[in-house]
Amino acid sequence: MANELLFALWETIYMVALSTLFSGVFGFAVAIVMILTGTNGLRPNRAVYSTLNLFVNLLRSFPFIILMIAIIPLTRLIVGTSIGSTASIVPLTIAATPFVARLMEGSLLEVDHGVIEAARSFGASDMQIVFGVMIKEAMPSIVLNWAVVAINLLGYSAMAGAVGGGGLGDLAIKYGYNRFQTDVMVYSVVILIVVVQIIQSIGNRVYERLK
Amino acid sequence: MIKIEGLGKYFGQLNVLHNISLEVKQGDVFGIVGHSGAGKSTLLRCMNGLEGYSEGSVQVMGQEVGTLSKEGLKELRKNMGMIFQNFNLMSRKNVYENIAFPLHVWKYPKDQIAARVEELLKLVGLSEKRDEKVRNLSGGQKQRVGIARALALNPKILLCDEATSALDPKTTISILELLMDINKKLGVTIVVVTHQMEVVKMVCNKVVVMDAGNIVAAGETERLFLAPGEELRKLVNEDDYAVIPHGTNIRLMFPREIANESIITGMARELNIDFSVVGGRIERYRETVMGFLIINVAHDDVERVLIWLKGKGMFWEVMQHGE
Repeated sequence: MANELLFALWETIYMVALSTLFSGVFGFAVAIVMILTGTNGLRPNRAVYSTLNLFVNLLRSFPFIILMIAIIPLTRLIVGTSIGSTASIVPLTIAATPFVARLMEGSLLEVDHGVIEAARSFGASDMQIVFGVMIKEAMPSIVLNWAVVAINLLGYSAMAGAVGGGGLGDLAIKYGYNRFQTDVMVYSVVILIVVVQIIQSIGNRVYERLK
Repeated sequence: MIKIEGLGKYFGQLNVLHNISLEVKQGDVFGIVGHSGAGKSTLLRCMNGLEGYSEGSVQVMGQEVGTLSKEGLKELRKNMGMIFQNFNLMSRKNVYENIAFPLHVWKYPKDQIAARVEELLKLVGLSEKRDEKVRNLSGGQKQRVGIARALALNPKILLCDEATSALDPKTTISILELLMDINKKLGVTIVVVTHQMEVVKMVCNKVVVMDAGNIVAAGETERLFLAPGEELRKLVNEDDYAVIPHGTNIRLMFPREIANESIITGMARELNIDFSVVGGRIERYRETVMGFLIINVAHDDVERVLIWLKGKGMFWEVMQHGE
C-alpha cells in the first residue's frame, strides 16, 4: 500500500509540476500580450485585447471535468493516448493557462504606473519596460500567484484521476471509494493537504524574500 | 532648447491645453506654475513625448517631438531627464541599481556604469546609502535618487514634475538647492512644474502661469512677482491689505539690485515726511531678496515721494482705494 501511495504521490507531483510549468509559460505569454495591448498598455490594441480577454473568459468558464473530456482528441494528438498522468498534463495545462493569464495580468497591473512612466522618460523600450521593470517589480506577487496556480492544479489533478489520469485522486477513487478502503482515502487526503501546505509555505517564503 | 507654439491638446472632448506658446532657453530654470488641473503636467509631458498633442508645435533641441519615430523619441529622452512627485523609483532595487538602470537600458559597459553611478551618488550626497533599499529612504533621499537617475545619461534638459510637492519645507529647500547647483555647475536647463509659489521664487528665472489649460501670465520671475497681474495675484492670494481712508497707498517693488539698500528709512530722512506701512512682503528670491512694501503717505507728499523713488530706480504703483 505504501508503495502505491508513494507512486501516486509521484504521479501527482509529476502532473502538477509539468502543468504548472507549461501553463506558467503560456499563461505568462498571454498575460504580457494582454498587458501591452490593454487600454492603458504600452501598445494599446483593442482587437487583440478583446479577443484574448474573451478567450480567457471562455476557457475559464468550462468546468474542468468537461474540458478534459472535450479535448480528448487533442490530447491523443499530442501525447498519443488519453489515459495516464502524461496525458493529463494536456488538459491541466489548457485549463490552467487562462487562469495563469488572468492572475499574472493582475500582478502586472499592480505595478505603479509612475515607475513605468519613469522608465519611458529615460528611453527604455517597451520590452525593457516589460522585462526590466514590470516583471521585476511584480515578482513577489507573481510568486504568490504561482503558488495559487499550483494548488489549483493539484485539485484539478485529483479530478483528472477520476477519468484515469493517475495520481492521488485516482488512488483515492479506485481504492478508497470503489473498494471501500477508507484508510486509503484518508491517507490520500492527508497527503494532499500536506502538499498544499508545502506549496503555500514555499510561495510565502519566496515572497518574503523577494519583497 | 524648447520652443512651443500654438500647442493644443484634447482628452476626448476636454480641451486640456489651449494655444500654449513658450520658449525655454539654454541655461534657464523655467517655471510652469498653476493650480492642480491647470494642465501643467500635461504640458511638461508633451516636451518629452510622454503625451501626444493634436495642435501646434513642440520643438526640443530643434526636433519636432510629435513627428519623431520611436527610435528618435528614445534618443530625445536620453537627453531629457525627468523627476516626479512620487519619485517613481523601483522599490525592489537598491539605490545603486535604481541609478544604474538608465545606463543599463542604454547598454553602457559595466565599468563605466559603476564609475558614473559613484559620481552621481557623490553629486546628490548619497554615497553612504549606495546599497540601501529605496523603501528605507526618506522622501528627500528618494528624490535625490530620482535626480541622480535622471542625470545618469548626462541630459541637457531636466524636467521636474511637482518634484518637491511631497516633501516638507526644509527638504524642499535642500532639493531646490541641489537643482540650482545642477543648473549652474552642469549647465543643465531645467523645467519646473509646481503649484508652490515658493519653488518658483527660489529657483526659476522665468515663469509661465497656467490656468485651465491657458497661459495667463509669462515673463521673468522677478518682474512677474514685483508687478503681478490680476491672475498671479489671484494665485498667490496677496490682496488683503488694510485700506486707510486718508492718504495714498503706494506699492513699492524691490528688485534684487536695490533690495538690500535702506530705501525706506532713507526716504523718510531725506524728504522729512511721515508715512505708515500698510502691508508688504520681502522674500528670498534665488540668492537675493525681493518683495514689495505698501506705504501710506499724505496726498500732498505723493509727488515728492514719486520723484524721489524715480531717482533711486525703484518700481512703484500708486494703488487705488479699495484695491
